[in-house]
Amino acid sequence: MPTRSVGQEFVKGLWDENPIFRQLLGLCPTLAVTNAVINGFAMGMATSFVLIFSSLVVSSIKKLIPSQVRIASYIVIIATFVTIVDRIMAAFFPPISKSLGPYVPLIVVNCIILGRQEAFSSKNTVGRSLIDALGMSSGFIIALLILSSIREILGAGTFLGYQVMGAWFKPWIIMLLPPGAFITLGILLAIALQIERKTKSRA
Amino acid sequence: MNLSTRMVVVLTSVGLLSGSFLATVGLLTQERIALNKQREIEEAIIQVIPGILNSQKLYEEKDLSVYGGMNEEGNLIGFAIRASGIGFQDKITFMLGTNISLTRINSLTILDQKETPGLGAKITDRDSFLKYWEDKDCSNEIFLHKPAVSSPEELSPTEINTITGATISSEAVLNTVNSSLEQVRRLIKEGKLSSEEQGAN
Repeated sequence: MPTRSVGQEFVKGLWDENPIFRQLLGLCPTLAVTNAVINGFAMGMATSFVLIFSSLVVSSIKKLIPSQVRIASYIVIIATFVTIVDRIMAAFFPPISKSLGPYVPLIVVNCIILGRQEAFSSKNTVGRSLIDALGMSSGFIIALLILSSIREILGAGTFLGYQVMGAWFKPWIIMLLPPGAFITLGILLAIALQIERKTKSRA
Repeated sequence: MNLSTRMVVVLTSVGLLSGSFLATVGLLTQERIALNKQREIEEAIIQVIPGILNSQKLYEEKDLSVYGGMNEEGNLIGFAIRASGIGFQDKITFMLGTNISLTRINSLTILDQKETPGLGAKITDRDSFLKYWEDKDCSNEIFLHKPAVSSPEELSPTEINTITGATISSEAVLNTVNSSLEQVRRLIKEGKLSSEEQGAN
Protein backbone atom coordinates (compact mmCIF):
# COMPACT_ATOMS: atom_id res chain seq x y z
CA MET A 1 0.00 0.00 0.00
CA PRO A 2 1.50 3.38 -0.94
CA THR A 3 2.25 5.60 2.01
CA ARG A 4 0.18 8.74 1.98
CA SER A 5 0.42 11.94 3.98
CA VAL A 6 -2.44 12.69 6.36
CA GLY A 7 -3.75 15.30 3.95
CA GLN A 8 -3.74 12.86 1.04
CA GLU A 9 -5.51 10.30 3.19
CA PHE A 10 -8.35 12.78 3.61
CA VAL A 11 -8.43 14.15 0.07
CA LYS A 12 -8.58 10.74 -1.61
CA GLY A 13 -12.15 10.30 -0.31
CA LEU A 14 -13.21 13.51 -2.04
CA TRP A 15 -12.22 12.53 -5.56
CA ASP A 16 -9.73 9.71 -6.31
CA GLU A 17 -11.60 7.19 -4.20
CA ASN A 18 -14.93 9.00 -3.89
CA PRO A 19 -17.34 6.33 -2.63
CA ILE A 20 -20.08 7.23 -5.11
CA PHE A 21 -18.38 8.54 -8.21
CA ARG A 22 -15.27 6.35 -8.18
CA GLN A 23 -16.04 3.26 -6.13
CA LEU A 24 -19.79 3.07 -6.87
CA LEU A 25 -20.49 1.99 -3.30
CA GLY A 26 -23.60 2.67 -1.25
CA LEU A 27 -25.78 3.36 -4.26
CA CYS A 28 -29.03 2.20 -2.66
CA PRO A 29 -29.41 5.17 -0.28
CA THR A 30 -27.81 7.39 -2.89
CA LEU A 31 -30.55 6.68 -5.37
CA ALA A 32 -33.40 6.38 -2.91
CA VAL A 33 -33.21 9.42 -0.67
CA THR A 34 -31.80 12.10 -2.95
CA ASN A 35 -35.19 13.46 -4.06
CA ALA A 36 -34.73 16.48 -1.77
CA VAL A 37 -31.54 18.23 -0.64
CA ILE A 38 -32.49 18.02 3.02
CA ASN A 39 -32.98 14.25 2.77
CA GLY A 40 -29.68 13.81 0.95
CA PHE A 41 -27.89 15.89 3.55
CA ALA A 42 -29.49 14.06 6.48
CA MET A 43 -28.62 10.71 4.91
CA GLY A 44 -25.05 11.89 4.40
CA MET A 45 -24.74 13.02 8.00
CA ALA A 46 -26.25 9.80 9.38
CA THR A 47 -23.96 7.63 7.27
CA SER A 48 -20.94 9.75 8.23
CA PHE A 49 -21.70 9.35 11.92
CA VAL A 50 -21.86 5.59 11.54
CA LEU A 51 -18.76 5.44 9.35
CA ILE A 52 -16.62 7.61 11.63
CA PHE A 53 -17.53 5.82 14.85
CA SER A 54 -17.36 2.34 13.34
CA SER A 55 -13.90 3.14 11.95
CA LEU A 56 -12.76 4.39 15.34
CA VAL A 57 -13.99 1.31 17.16
CA VAL A 58 -12.80 -1.19 14.55
CA SER A 59 -9.35 0.32 14.25
CA SER A 60 -8.90 0.37 18.02
CA ILE A 61 -9.93 -3.26 18.61
CA LYS A 62 -8.64 -4.72 15.34
CA LYS A 63 -5.95 -6.79 17.09
CA LEU A 64 -8.47 -8.44 19.42
CA ILE A 65 -10.77 -9.73 16.66
CA PRO A 66 -9.86 -13.10 15.13
CA SER A 67 -10.04 -12.76 11.35
CA GLN A 68 -12.62 -15.57 11.09
CA VAL A 69 -15.25 -13.53 12.92
CA ARG A 70 -14.20 -10.07 11.77
CA ILE A 71 -17.11 -9.47 9.38
CA ALA A 72 -19.64 -10.55 12.00
CA SER A 73 -18.01 -8.28 14.58
CA TYR A 74 -17.90 -5.33 12.18
CA ILE A 75 -21.56 -5.76 11.33
CA VAL A 76 -22.55 -5.83 15.01
CA ILE A 77 -20.52 -2.67 15.63
CA ILE A 78 -21.98 -0.95 12.58
CA ALA A 79 -25.52 -2.01 13.46
CA THR A 80 -25.06 -0.58 16.95
CA PHE A 81 -24.19 2.86 15.62
CA VAL A 82 -26.94 2.72 13.01
CA THR A 83 -29.52 1.97 15.67
CA ILE A 84 -28.21 4.85 17.75
CA VAL A 85 -28.56 7.22 14.79
CA ASP A 86 -32.03 5.92 14.06
CA ARG A 87 -33.22 6.44 17.64
CA ILE A 88 -31.62 9.87 17.94
CA MET A 89 -33.18 11.02 14.69
CA ALA A 90 -36.60 9.72 15.73
CA ALA A 91 -36.26 11.50 19.07
CA PHE A 92 -34.86 14.84 17.97
CA PHE A 93 -35.57 15.24 14.25
CA PRO A 94 -38.91 13.46 13.75
CA PRO A 95 -39.79 15.02 10.35
CA ILE A 96 -36.48 13.98 8.77
CA SER A 97 -36.63 10.59 10.40
CA LYS A 98 -40.07 10.16 8.85
CA SER A 99 -39.04 11.17 5.36
CA LEU A 100 -35.96 8.91 5.36
CA GLY A 101 -38.13 6.04 6.58
CA PRO A 102 -36.47 2.63 6.31
CA TYR A 103 -33.29 4.00 4.75
CA VAL A 104 -31.71 4.87 8.09
CA PRO A 105 -31.78 1.28 9.41
CA LEU A 106 -30.54 0.21 5.98
CA ILE A 107 -27.24 2.05 6.56
CA VAL A 108 -26.20 -1.22 8.23
CA VAL A 109 -25.80 -2.81 4.82
CA ASN A 110 -24.29 0.24 3.15
CA CYS A 111 -21.15 -1.18 1.60
CA ILE A 112 -19.18 2.04 2.06
CA ILE A 113 -19.10 1.39 5.79
CA LEU A 114 -18.25 -2.30 5.80
CA GLY A 115 -15.92 -1.68 2.86
CA ARG A 116 -13.89 0.92 4.75
CA GLN A 117 -13.63 -1.34 7.81
CA GLU A 118 -12.40 -4.24 5.72
CA ALA A 119 -10.14 -2.22 3.41
CA PHE A 120 -8.81 0.37 5.80
CA SER A 121 -9.66 0.47 9.50
CA SER A 122 -8.71 -3.16 10.09
CA LYS A 123 -5.20 -2.46 8.79
CA ASN A 124 -4.45 1.08 9.89
CA THR A 125 -3.99 3.12 13.05
CA VAL A 126 -6.88 4.83 14.82
CA GLY A 127 -5.74 8.27 13.67
CA ARG A 128 -5.43 7.32 10.03
CA SER A 129 -8.76 5.47 10.13
CA LEU A 130 -10.41 8.58 11.49
CA ILE A 131 -8.94 10.72 8.70
CA ASP A 132 -9.97 8.12 6.12
CA ALA A 133 -13.53 8.00 7.51
CA LEU A 134 -13.76 11.80 7.52
CA GLY A 135 -12.57 11.95 3.90
CA MET A 136 -14.94 9.23 2.72
CA SER A 137 -17.84 10.82 4.61
CA SER A 138 -17.17 14.20 3.03
CA GLY A 139 -16.96 12.59 -0.38
CA PHE A 140 -20.24 10.81 0.22
CA ILE A 141 -22.00 13.95 1.50
CA ILE A 142 -20.73 16.00 -1.46
CA ALA A 143 -21.95 13.37 -3.92
CA LEU A 144 -25.38 13.20 -2.26
CA LEU A 145 -25.64 16.99 -2.23
CA ILE A 146 -24.83 17.27 -5.94
CA LEU A 147 -27.29 14.54 -6.83
CA SER A 148 -30.09 15.81 -4.58
CA SER A 149 -29.62 19.44 -5.67
CA ILE A 150 -30.03 18.51 -9.33
CA ARG A 151 -33.04 16.33 -8.58
CA GLU A 152 -34.78 18.80 -6.30
CA ILE A 153 -34.21 21.81 -8.57
CA LEU A 154 -35.35 20.05 -11.73
CA GLY A 155 -37.98 17.88 -10.09
CA ALA A 156 -39.66 20.39 -7.82
CA GLY A 157 -38.17 23.75 -8.80
CA THR A 158 -37.00 24.26 -5.24
CA PHE A 159 -33.74 24.14 -3.31
CA LEU A 160 -33.98 23.17 0.36
CA GLY A 161 -37.69 23.87 0.05
CA TYR A 162 -37.25 27.43 -1.31
CA GLN A 163 -38.59 28.19 -4.75
CA VAL A 164 -35.63 28.86 -7.05
CA MET A 165 -37.18 28.42 -10.46
CA GLY A 166 -39.58 30.99 -11.89
CA ALA A 167 -43.27 30.44 -12.51
CA TRP A 168 -42.50 29.48 -16.12
CA PHE A 169 -40.81 26.35 -14.90
CA LYS A 170 -42.76 23.13 -15.07
CA PRO A 171 -41.23 20.64 -12.60
CA TRP A 172 -39.91 17.42 -14.13
CA ILE A 173 -41.67 14.97 -11.86
CA ILE A 174 -39.56 12.14 -13.22
CA MET A 175 -36.52 13.60 -11.47
CA LEU A 176 -38.15 12.89 -8.11
CA LEU A 177 -38.95 9.31 -9.07
CA PRO A 178 -36.50 6.39 -9.24
CA PRO A 179 -35.77 6.82 -12.99
CA GLY A 180 -34.64 10.40 -12.31
CA ALA A 181 -32.16 9.09 -9.77
CA PHE A 182 -30.68 6.62 -12.24
CA ILE A 183 -30.53 9.15 -15.07
CA THR A 184 -28.87 11.81 -12.91
CA LEU A 185 -26.38 9.38 -11.41
CA GLY A 186 -25.56 7.98 -14.86
CA ILE A 187 -24.84 11.42 -16.26
CA LEU A 188 -22.77 12.37 -13.22
CA LEU A 189 -20.74 9.16 -13.48
CA ALA A 190 -20.11 9.83 -17.16
CA ILE A 191 -18.88 13.34 -16.32
CA ALA A 192 -16.69 11.98 -13.51
CA LEU A 193 -15.14 9.40 -15.83
CA GLN A 194 -14.55 12.02 -18.50
CA ILE A 195 -12.78 14.32 -16.03
CA GLU A 196 -10.70 11.42 -14.77
CA ARG A 197 -9.70 10.45 -18.31
CA LYS A 198 -8.73 14.03 -19.18
CA THR A 199 -6.58 14.47 -16.06
CA LYS A 200 -4.90 11.11 -16.64
CA SER A 201 -4.03 11.81 -20.24
CA ARG A 202 -2.60 15.16 -19.24
CA ALA A 203 -0.44 13.63 -16.52
CA MET B 1 -6.77 -19.43 24.45
CA ASN B 2 -7.43 -21.48 21.37
CA LEU B 3 -8.99 -19.99 18.29
CA SER B 4 -12.57 -21.20 18.64
CA THR B 5 -12.79 -20.03 22.27
CA ARG B 6 -11.40 -16.68 21.21
CA MET B 7 -13.96 -16.39 18.43
CA VAL B 8 -16.80 -17.10 20.83
CA VAL B 9 -15.45 -14.77 23.49
CA VAL B 10 -14.89 -11.88 21.06
CA LEU B 11 -18.26 -12.16 19.32
CA THR B 12 -20.09 -12.56 22.62
CA SER B 13 -18.43 -9.56 24.20
CA VAL B 14 -18.95 -7.42 21.11
CA GLY B 15 -22.61 -8.43 21.17
CA LEU B 16 -23.00 -7.82 24.89
CA LEU B 17 -21.31 -4.44 24.78
CA SER B 18 -23.40 -3.34 21.80
CA GLY B 19 -26.54 -4.62 23.43
CA SER B 20 -26.01 -2.81 26.70
CA PHE B 21 -25.05 0.35 24.86
CA LEU B 22 -28.21 0.17 22.78
CA ALA B 23 -30.35 -0.52 25.81
CA THR B 24 -29.06 2.71 27.35
CA VAL B 25 -29.71 4.72 24.19
CA GLY B 26 -33.16 3.15 23.89
CA LEU B 27 -34.03 4.10 27.46
CA LEU B 28 -32.80 7.64 26.99
CA THR B 29 -34.75 8.24 23.78
CA GLN B 30 -37.96 6.22 24.16
CA GLU B 31 -39.74 8.82 26.24
CA ARG B 32 -39.00 11.55 23.74
CA ILE B 33 -40.02 9.43 20.78
CA ALA B 34 -43.34 8.59 22.44
CA LEU B 35 -43.79 12.26 23.27
CA ASN B 36 -43.14 13.26 19.65
CA LYS B 37 -45.81 10.86 18.46
CA GLN B 38 -48.33 12.07 21.00
CA ARG B 39 -47.58 15.72 20.25
CA GLU B 40 -48.03 15.11 16.56
CA ILE B 41 -51.52 13.72 17.21
CA GLU B 42 -52.44 16.53 19.60
CA GLU B 43 -51.29 19.18 17.16
CA ALA B 44 -53.30 17.57 14.40
CA ILE B 45 -56.43 17.51 16.59
CA ILE B 46 -56.08 21.19 17.41
CA GLN B 47 -55.58 21.90 13.73
CA VAL B 48 -58.73 20.09 12.59
CA ILE B 49 -61.13 21.21 15.35
CA PRO B 50 -60.80 24.96 15.71
CA GLY B 51 -61.32 26.53 19.10
CA ILE B 52 -60.79 23.53 21.33
CA LEU B 53 -59.02 23.70 24.62
CA ASN B 54 -58.28 20.06 25.15
CA SER B 55 -59.07 16.72 23.66
CA GLN B 56 -59.72 13.21 24.79
CA LYS B 57 -59.51 9.84 23.14
CA LEU B 58 -63.00 8.35 22.89
CA TYR B 59 -62.46 5.23 20.86
CA GLU B 60 -59.61 3.24 19.39
CA GLU B 61 -59.31 0.29 17.10
CA LYS B 62 -56.94 -0.72 14.34
CA ASP B 63 -56.82 2.06 11.74
CA LEU B 64 -59.49 4.17 13.45
CA SER B 65 -59.26 6.40 16.51
CA VAL B 66 -61.79 9.01 17.55
CA TYR B 67 -60.89 11.98 19.71
CA GLY B 68 -63.35 14.42 21.19
CA GLY B 69 -62.44 18.10 21.25
CA MET B 70 -63.69 20.17 24.21
CA ASN B 71 -64.08 23.95 24.41
CA GLU B 72 -63.39 26.11 27.47
CA GLU B 73 -66.61 25.08 29.21
CA GLY B 74 -65.72 21.43 28.74
CA ASN B 75 -68.44 20.80 26.16
CA LEU B 76 -67.79 18.53 23.28
CA ILE B 77 -67.62 20.64 20.12
CA GLY B 78 -66.20 18.26 17.56
CA PHE B 79 -64.63 14.97 16.70
CA ALA B 80 -61.19 14.34 15.34
CA ILE B 81 -61.04 11.06 13.47
CA ARG B 82 -57.68 9.49 12.87
CA ALA B 83 -57.96 6.84 10.20
CA SER B 84 -55.71 4.88 7.85
CA GLY B 85 -56.40 3.38 4.50
CA ILE B 86 -54.40 1.87 1.69
CA GLY B 87 -53.10 4.44 -0.78
CA PHE B 88 -51.11 3.95 -3.94
CA GLN B 89 -47.88 2.90 -2.23
CA ASP B 90 -48.61 2.35 1.41
CA LYS B 91 -51.03 3.28 4.15
CA ILE B 92 -52.22 6.87 4.28
CA THR B 93 -53.05 8.10 7.77
CA PHE B 94 -54.96 11.33 8.27
CA MET B 95 -56.80 13.34 10.88
CA LEU B 96 -60.27 14.52 9.99
CA GLY B 97 -62.09 17.15 12.04
CA THR B 98 -65.89 17.19 12.10
CA ASN B 99 -68.71 18.77 14.07
CA ILE B 100 -70.49 16.63 16.68
CA SER B 101 -73.36 15.64 14.41
CA LEU B 102 -70.86 14.45 11.78
CA THR B 103 -72.49 16.58 9.11
CA ARG B 104 -69.64 18.97 8.44
CA ILE B 105 -65.90 18.49 7.94
CA ASN B 106 -63.83 21.30 9.45
CA SER B 107 -60.61 20.27 7.82
CA LEU B 108 -58.35 17.41 6.96
CA THR B 109 -54.66 16.94 7.58
CA ILE B 110 -52.40 14.09 6.46
CA LEU B 111 -50.29 12.53 9.18
CA ASP B 112 -48.44 9.84 7.32
CA GLN B 113 -48.11 8.88 3.67
CA LYS B 114 -45.56 7.38 1.30
CA GLU B 115 -47.19 8.36 -1.99
CA THR B 116 -45.19 9.22 -5.10
CA PRO B 117 -43.31 12.49 -4.57
CA GLY B 118 -44.68 15.24 -6.77
CA LEU B 119 -47.86 13.34 -7.62
CA GLY B 120 -49.65 11.38 -4.90
CA ALA B 121 -47.69 13.18 -2.21
CA LYS B 122 -49.67 16.30 -3.11
CA ILE B 123 -52.40 14.99 -0.81
CA THR B 124 -50.39 16.78 1.89
CA ASP B 125 -50.51 20.01 -0.10
CA ARG B 126 -53.07 22.50 1.16
CA ASP B 127 -53.40 24.44 -2.10
CA SER B 128 -53.94 21.55 -4.45
CA PHE B 129 -55.86 19.17 -2.25
CA LEU B 130 -56.50 19.85 1.42
CA LYS B 131 -58.19 23.23 0.99
CA TYR B 132 -61.02 21.49 -0.86
CA TRP B 133 -61.78 19.60 2.31
CA GLU B 134 -62.21 22.68 4.44
CA ASP B 135 -65.73 23.31 5.73
CA LYS B 136 -67.27 20.57 3.64
CA ASP B 137 -70.74 19.14 4.00
CA CYS B 138 -70.43 15.45 4.80
CA SER B 139 -73.99 14.49 5.70
CA ASN B 140 -74.02 12.45 2.50
CA GLU B 141 -71.31 10.54 0.74
CA ILE B 142 -68.59 12.69 -0.83
CA PHE B 143 -67.48 12.17 -4.43
CA LEU B 144 -64.41 12.91 -6.45
CA HIS B 145 -64.56 15.60 -9.10
CA LYS B 146 -62.65 14.66 -12.23
CA PRO B 147 -60.88 16.29 -13.96
CA ALA B 148 -59.20 18.55 -11.42
CA VAL B 149 -60.48 22.09 -10.94
CA SER B 150 -58.53 25.09 -9.71
CA SER B 151 -60.88 26.62 -7.15
CA PRO B 152 -63.41 25.29 -4.62
CA GLU B 153 -66.24 27.28 -6.28
CA GLU B 154 -66.22 24.98 -9.27
CA LEU B 155 -67.17 21.97 -7.18
CA SER B 156 -70.62 20.87 -6.14
CA PRO B 157 -71.11 20.69 -2.32
CA THR B 158 -70.62 16.94 -2.25
CA GLU B 159 -67.48 16.88 -4.35
CA ILE B 160 -63.80 17.22 -3.63
CA ASN B 161 -61.01 17.86 -6.07
CA THR B 162 -58.79 15.25 -7.69
CA ILE B 163 -55.04 15.64 -7.93
CA THR B 164 -54.04 15.48 -11.58
CA GLY B 165 -52.02 12.32 -12.15
CA ALA B 166 -52.84 10.91 -8.75
CA THR B 167 -56.42 9.71 -8.94
CA ILE B 168 -55.63 6.62 -6.89
CA SER B 169 -54.18 8.61 -4.00
CA SER B 170 -57.07 11.11 -4.08
CA GLU B 171 -59.57 8.28 -4.20
CA ALA B 172 -57.82 6.45 -1.38
CA VAL B 173 -58.16 9.45 0.92
CA LEU B 174 -61.76 9.98 -0.14
CA ASN B 175 -62.77 6.36 0.38
CA THR B 176 -61.13 6.23 3.78
CA VAL B 177 -62.88 9.45 4.78
CA ASN B 178 -66.25 8.14 3.66
CA SER B 179 -65.82 4.78 5.32
CA SER B 180 -64.46 6.20 8.58
CA LEU B 181 -67.36 8.67 8.80
CA GLU B 182 -69.72 5.78 8.27
CA GLN B 183 -67.96 3.81 10.99
CA VAL B 184 -68.06 6.67 13.49
CA ARG B 185 -71.77 7.23 12.81
CA ARG B 186 -72.33 3.58 13.59
CA LEU B 187 -70.27 3.84 16.77
CA ILE B 188 -72.38 6.78 17.92
CA LYS B 189 -75.57 4.91 17.15
CA GLU B 190 -74.33 1.92 19.11
CA GLY B 191 -73.48 4.25 21.96
CA LYS B 192 -69.82 3.34 21.97
CA LEU B 193 -68.65 6.92 21.92
CA SER B 194 -71.23 8.61 24.14
CA SER B 195 -70.57 6.60 27.30
CA GLU B 196 -67.03 7.86 27.66
CA GLU B 197 -68.09 11.24 26.46
CA GLN B 198 -70.46 11.61 29.40
CA GLY B 199 -67.69 10.43 31.65
CA ALA B 200 -65.67 13.37 30.42
CA ASN B 201 -68.41 15.83 31.25
